[in-house]
Amino acid sequence: MFGYVIKTLLRHRARTLLTVSGAAVAMFVFCFVGSVQEGLERLTSGSDADRCLIVFQENRFCPSSSRLPEDYAPAIKKLRGVKQVMPIQVWTNNCRASLDIVVFNGIPPEQIRDNRPIQLVNGSWEAFLTRRDAAIIGRNIANRRGLKSGDQFTIGDLSVQVAGVFASDVPSEENLIYTSLQFLQYSRGKDTAGTVTQLEVHLTSDADPDAVASLIDQTLRTGPVATTTRRKGAFQASTLSDLVDLIGFAHWLGYACVGLVLSLVATTTVMSVQDRIKEYAVLQTLGVRPFRTMRLVILESTLLCTVGGVFGTVIASVALWTGGFAIGAEGATIAFRPSPELILVGTAVSCTVGIIAGLAPAIQAATVPIVMALRNE
Amino acid sequence: MALVELKNVCRSFRKGEETITPLDDVTLEIHEGDFVSLMGPSGTGKSTLLNLVAGIDRPDSGSITVAGTEITNLSRGQLADWRAANLGYIFQTHNLIPVLTAYENVELPTLLLKQTAAQRRQRVELALKAVGLSDRADHYPRQLSGGQEQRVGIARAIVANPRVVVADEPTGSLDATTSEQIQELLQRLNRELGMTVLMVTHDRDVAGIATRRLTLNRGKFLPT
Repeated sequence: MFGYVIKTLLRHRARTLLTVSGAAVAMFVFCFVGSVQEGLERLTSGSDADRCLIVFQENRFCPSSSRLPEDYAPAIKKLRGVKQVMPIQVWTNNCRASLDIVVFNGIPPEQIRDNRPIQLVNGSWEAFLTRRDAAIIGRNIANRRGLKSGDQFTIGDLSVQVAGVFASDVPSEENLIYTSLQFLQYSRGKDTAGTVTQLEVHLTSDADPDAVASLIDQTLRTGPVATTTRRKGAFQASTLSDLVDLIGFAHWLGYACVGLVLSLVATTTVMSVQDRIKEYAVLQTLGVRPFRTMRLVILESTLLCTVGGVFGTVIASVALWTGGFAIGAEGATIAFRPSPELILVGTAVSCTVGIIAGLAPAIQAATVPIVMALRNE
Repeated sequence: MALVELKNVCRSFRKGEETITPLDDVTLEIHEGDFVSLMGPSGTGKSTLLNLVAGIDRPDSGSITVAGTEITNLSRGQLADWRAANLGYIFQTHNLIPVLTAYENVELPTLLLKQTAAQRRQRVELALKAVGLSDRADHYPRQLSGGQEQRVGIARAIVANPRVVVADEPTGSLDATTSEQIQELLQRLNRELGMTVLMVTHDRDVAGIATRRLTLNRGKFLPT
């Protein structure tokens, strides 16, 4: 009977194509919204977000306005619970929310190599370590800007030579450009010698992040610049607070897409069943059980929805994976990279919606009085 | 024992304020191998009786026993199983599934029975051969003439080797020549394969091919 359902769908090509396309578009948007939410979730949770602290200048929110003495790093390193301190100079082309934000992180090169979760996919560490204006750039930004090893990349007052392109398991890393700390501190037009934007503090396994954060702020209170220290996840959520609200609201858009698919497939299936109510009556006259009739209708709606949903989800995933899209603000970026789980969720949602959409018409097809339906022309 | 037995069967419908009673205390016995034609003016309950025997409608009262099964008390699902195993239905308007080929249409009832693919194929080929359409197996209904469509409908009705075949005006939508071919085919099914046939028709000539002729009028059989 599976063949019957397939043939029915193929016979009504226009209806099938329109429904599948509608489901695909809606699930494309669902997947897109889902990947943005996943990006935010990754940025604000997980071990890195919880076990790392960011020390920032007190009452400052934009990277360009935070200036901490670089020698805060050794002072923090001495505190109990601190494993390592990484001074970071941040430069961004746009402090406001942007879809094409460029963020430079200047960090001592050895620390980049040893501590950042990145792997060079082309270029070499040697080239990065030996050349002052060398930079390694994340895969996403390389895709967006069309950059490869050996290219010169200039933005604003900064001009770097691409020494390599890196990939990372942490999608937001792939939106960064790493240079040496000194390069970013001394580049033309910057007056930041001896200062850094923020300090990233890595903790020992037994340290309490909140206690260490308080201790850092307390210790540095007597210094020239007061600090605010937070977990990295909380820091990034705070930095992106405007976007967090928007993204939080966008999840309703995801639900709306699911509702759209549901109503679209339900409408198509209802119309299809009403058009073919006599056919279902004939099948039942031949001996097809009512429950089997229901299954035929549900299989039809589920196939329509799943094919469209999977198509939309896969297209969205491929576009997001290859496009390297990201949104950022004030030096923090959210990468739109869908996870395999999101693809599975998209498929499962499509399948479930297909089943639900087919329920009412399936009951109608299975319970309609056979004699009455046979008279239907 | 009768293959089909109706006892004191009543069936009425409400049409607005009016109650129509096409079958009023009808009793009937059809024996194995009978070819029964059912005649009568429009609205006298011929199709209603046929549908009751086919188990796609239920009487208000009385009992219907077909092939040893009292079908009036069966659930909708049980009736479907019973139809698949015991009944072949020939429609006036063929009612073939348009997306399936002639072969697939005929194969449909066999998919509901526990049979191997080879057994199914053999039955379908036999049924198509019986109606003389082996060479049209891969054709879709839209590629067949009205007579050929009806012959596919007949093949579909007999493919599962049912105990009873019911035919609701099987020649009603056909021209005279095609109608004759279908009549011959039905006669052959009855004579050569011994199939029990209950046929509704309003055509006296068509009714003439049956071995037993019944006439319904105002919900009751007229004396033959």
